[in-house]
Amino acid sequence: MTIEPLIKSRPSYGPVTVQINAKLHLFICTAEGQSALQTLIDAIPQTQRQLLVFSATDARGAVDEKGHSLLAEQVGAALCDAPLATAIYLSGPEAFMWDLRNLARSVGFADEQIQMCEPVGNARRLFCTHCYAITEEVSHSPQTCSGCGRLLLVRDHYSKLHAAYVGVQINAEDPAEIPEPEALS
Amino acid sequence: MTIDKIRVRVDAIEQVAPLIREFQLVPVDGELMPFSPGSHVIVEMPDQPRSHRNAYSLLSEPRDAACYRIAVRLQEHSRGGSRFMHEQVKVGDELAITPPANLFAPNWGARKHLLIAGGVGITPFMSYLPALQRVGAGFELHYLFRSKQTGAYRQQLASELGERCYLYDADEGIRCDLGELLGDQPRGTHIYICGPQTLIAGVQEVAQALGWPTSHIHFEAFAAPQPGYPFEVELNSSGRTLAVDGDTSLLEALEDAGIAVPSLCRGGVCGQCKTRVVAGEPDHRDQFLTADERAEGNCIMPCVSRAAGKRLVLDL
Ligand code: FES
Repeated sequence: MTIEPLIKSRPSYGPVTVQINAKLHLFICTAEGQSALQTLIDAIPQTQRQLLVFSATDARGAVDEKGHSLLAEQVGAALCDAPLATAIYLSGPEAFMWDLRNLARSVGFADEQIQMCEPVGNARRLFCTHCYAITEEVSHSPQTCSGCGRLLLVRDHYSKLHAAYVGVQINAEDPAEIPEPEALS
Repeated sequence: MTIDKIRVRVDAIEQVAPLIREFQLVPVDGELMPFSPGSHVIVEMPDQPRSHRNAYSLLSEPRDAACYRIAVRLQEHSRGGSRFMHEQVKVGDELAITPPANLFAPNWGARKHLLIAGGVGITPFMSYLPALQRVGAGFELHYLFRSKQTGAYRQQLASELGERCYLYDADEGIRCDLGELLGDQPRGTHIYICGPQTLIAGVQEVAQALGWPTSHIHFEAFAAPQPGYPFEVELNSSGRTLAVDGDTSLLEALEDAGIAVPSLCRGGVCGQCKTRVVAGEPDHRDQFLTADERAEGNCIMPCVSRAAGKRLVLDL
């Protein structure tokens, strides 16, 4: 037996391609994300595609745990009406895409039916492993947790479930120590 | 596998269909362990001139460790295993089995489970059903058989499952329309198929045409090794040469010579028995190796594959 090399949990985003077997192509993006999908959108006949575009404000923390939000409602309706052979294409900020991916999975879509473009922007959603609070739009590490105020090291470890990067306290031994923040890539 | 074998005694034998016999196995000493739905054991059969080792699904309630039940269909072109079970094994006999292993577990994240059984392929689902019912999962069983040969447990299943059980007896001219069945399932349904390769391929083809996601389709074939031409195998480390006759699998020949090669499914699907080939051309019969690995020709799955020529040298 050969052992697979260790897989880093930071998601990587390959090129997005048309799923030829699909009967409906569902494109969901933010306004800034649309350009990355445009070639694909144009390649598909109008009758076989559906496009949902959201503004950056709509998309921010768009799908809360209970799925309450305008975006979740609109997307949820589109997902439920979609035929079995549907392909989903996502583009926009990383957390926005993973929220939608989780929503689609919760109504029965399989991973291979969902494709994501390279995320728009470097902003990360951060999940605090100490108090479980979410901090949105994090651009630097360390970052102060919006829940417990601890100074968190933003790791590359990604939790698909929380659609967030995992943060752990960077100065647990000596909270007085405040390292210089560095920009995230 | 290097795990200890379990000695069991045949406690009862029942003819459950014209060509299928059920065996109830109880431990000779100690206890059996509960298992997960879809598990199988490998039964070692002390036949002459050589023993057989075949995998059989456990069809009892997974939480009941008092006895294991297996069902064996008499295979026409059997290399001996099923014939031995049907003709030689008597109540009170002792057999050795491996602990249960599972290569066909249900996906508990499914929103609905669509079980498709062909003939003796009903067996793994016999352990699914109590577990699915226990958690209140949505499911349907579609059972295809020929009542002149198979169709075991169908009355019991029909009365226990009611409208969730669909029977198709080809000997009565009743066929299952796979296109209709697969076309009419809610999103998030997972399909499980156990039966002959033709049934599995048929379901896969229909599913693909309908755009089913492949990760929602699970199958277990009756993957017994098929006979072939005799050949010789040389062990690279010792230079020792073994003869593999036409009815013996390469894995069995190695085991008979006392060479431990790990195995799990013994049907060319799990990947456990992968062995390096030093020289000679393999006749690949597994479903595990990729096309690239086959083309390279330096690996073999000895549980089902053989030599294309007269000789193989293995890195053992
Ligand atoms: S034992 Fe599973 S592939 Fe050989």
